Amino acid sequence: MIAQQLVNGVMLGAIYVMVALAFTLAIGILNFMNFSIPGLFMAGGMATWILIHRGVPWWAAAVVALIVAAAISLAVERLSYRPSNEGDVEVPLVSSLGFLVLLQSLVLATVGSDQQAFPAVLGDLNLRIGGLVIGAAQVLSLAISMVLVIGLTVALKSTSFGRQIRSIAESRETATLLGIDVGAVIPRVFVISAVTAALGGVLFALNYLQVSPFMGENVGFKGVAAMIVGGMGSVWGAVLGGLLIGVAEVLSIRLFGADTVDIAVYGLLLVLLVVRPQGLLGKPPAREKL
Amino acid sequence: MALLEVEGASVDYGRGRVLDDVSLSVGEGEIVTVLGANGAGKTTLLRAIAGATRLAAGRVTYDGAPLDGLSIGERLARGIVLVPEGRRILISLTIEENLLVGAHQRRDTAAVRKDIAAIYERFPNLAQRRHMAAWCLSGGEQQMLAIGRAIVARPRLMMLDEPSLGLSPLFVNTLFGLIVELNRGGLTVLLVEQNAGKALAIAHHATVIELGRVVVAGDPRALQADPRLREAYLGQGDDAAAGPIEPILQRGTGV
Repeated sequence: MIAQQLVNGVMLGAIYVMVALAFTLAIGILNFMNFSIPGLFMAGGMATWILIHRGVPWWAAAVVALIVAAAISLAVERLSYRPSNEGDVEVPLVSSLGFLVLLQSLVLATVGSDQQAFPAVLGDLNLRIGGLVIGAAQVLSLAISMVLVIGLTVALKSTSFGRQIRSIAESRETATLLGIDVGAVIPRVFVISAVTAALGGVLFALNYLQVSPFMGENVGFKGVAAMIVGGMGSVWGAVLGGLLIGVAEVLSIRLFGADTVDIAVYGLLLVLLVVRPQGLLGKPPAREKL
Repeated sequence: MALLEVEGASVDYGRGRVLDDVSLSVGEGEIVTVLGANGAGKTTLLRAIAGATRLAAGRVTYDGAPLDGLSIGERLARGIVLVPEGRRILISLTIEENLLVGAHQRRDTAAVRKDIAAIYERFPNLAQRRHMAAWCLSGGEQQMLAIGRAIVARPRLMMLDEPSLGLSPLFVNTLFGLIVELNRGGLTVLLVEQNAGKALAIAHHATVIELGRVVVAGDPRALQADPRLREAYLGQGDDAAAGPIEPILQRGTGV
């Protein structure tokens, strides 16, 4: 039975991975703690639900939801990140938090605060391996998040766009002097980060068959924890942290009951911050500049 | 007709004017050097030509067309490449990735590979460590990498900002040898230096700026030969040669 819990933990972790990934891209490349990401996660799930209710096929609804999230993220870039480019890093942090509140309030005003049932569009497809039961939505989540992670790793490592992103991450000033069009690259990073978060929201809805205006908050904080556990700015750290937190959450429910989830997850975070402040795969600070 | 023509260039920084009415001409295939003390405005001049700093007045003409309003990237596409002050190697990228970043505007991948191979041939030190992070390089190797990164951008005008700063004498010789070699291959060079002796030895024209203004311009051999000029602007003359030029220095010390 513990094996089944591990499987469930990994599948939940796959969704945390996507949120952690969205956060870690923003932090690692833009040095921006983008608190609109939980809102984009919610927007992904919620927009899919709304469109399905209007009769749109679920996959088309999901695609439109991702586009909506990307558009919102471009607005965050333009209205929150870009104006405070030269100033304190706390300014865009707070205004992006404002976007989270705004998105939640918009959904509250139009759909209401209730949790909504999301249709089981993938049906009752289950894989049975040995004694384990694995749902189709779970497999889909894990597959998509792994494809995304590997794709991002390859893109960052081996494409010209990836090298430009990493140049900007190391020193925006140097990248500018080398003629890299920083103003064109950064919005694309926002789009990638937003699509990742919103895809997490869609997969969450497909897995847990529910959406609500606040679905992003809980998952968002777990995603931040996952990013920190793995190491801020590290793609594989986000994977490791997301999976660890997913497993820790499911196991703690199993072993100690549902009330202990947050104690387990944030306890893990606390212990790790004491033992290894830079996270499991993070690099120690003070590597920047020069 | 000159490849690069700077006319009356002025740059303000904060409330001060760091570049004041500077004019300069660089002919195709020439090495032109700009000399002057720290803070004279040499870096600002190069940044203004590269498009990193906005001109308050004056204009820069390149290849017969004004560069007004063009971004760094657009000037790069026209062949104006800056090897910046302090080299600015990206230390979290590998040596090869640094070179590839230099070629980020180029789409002819095969030719880029060939250019990079040529740089490796010229600098075996870089070739050996091509897949290592660039922080493992010494200062001299970093400078070679910075120039290599500029070469793969296929420059027509290469601007070097204090390339010899902090290098060992051996590397300084290698560096100036390389600049001459590139120039013989047809590259136009605008060289900002504090190492005045070496720069004057390879340049076709020299301009000395002080506190943002051009004070002397002309034949580098004449500058080299004039002990008063060397004393006053280049900080390498002997005390006995000091004379009538001193008032200019005093004017300078007030700022």
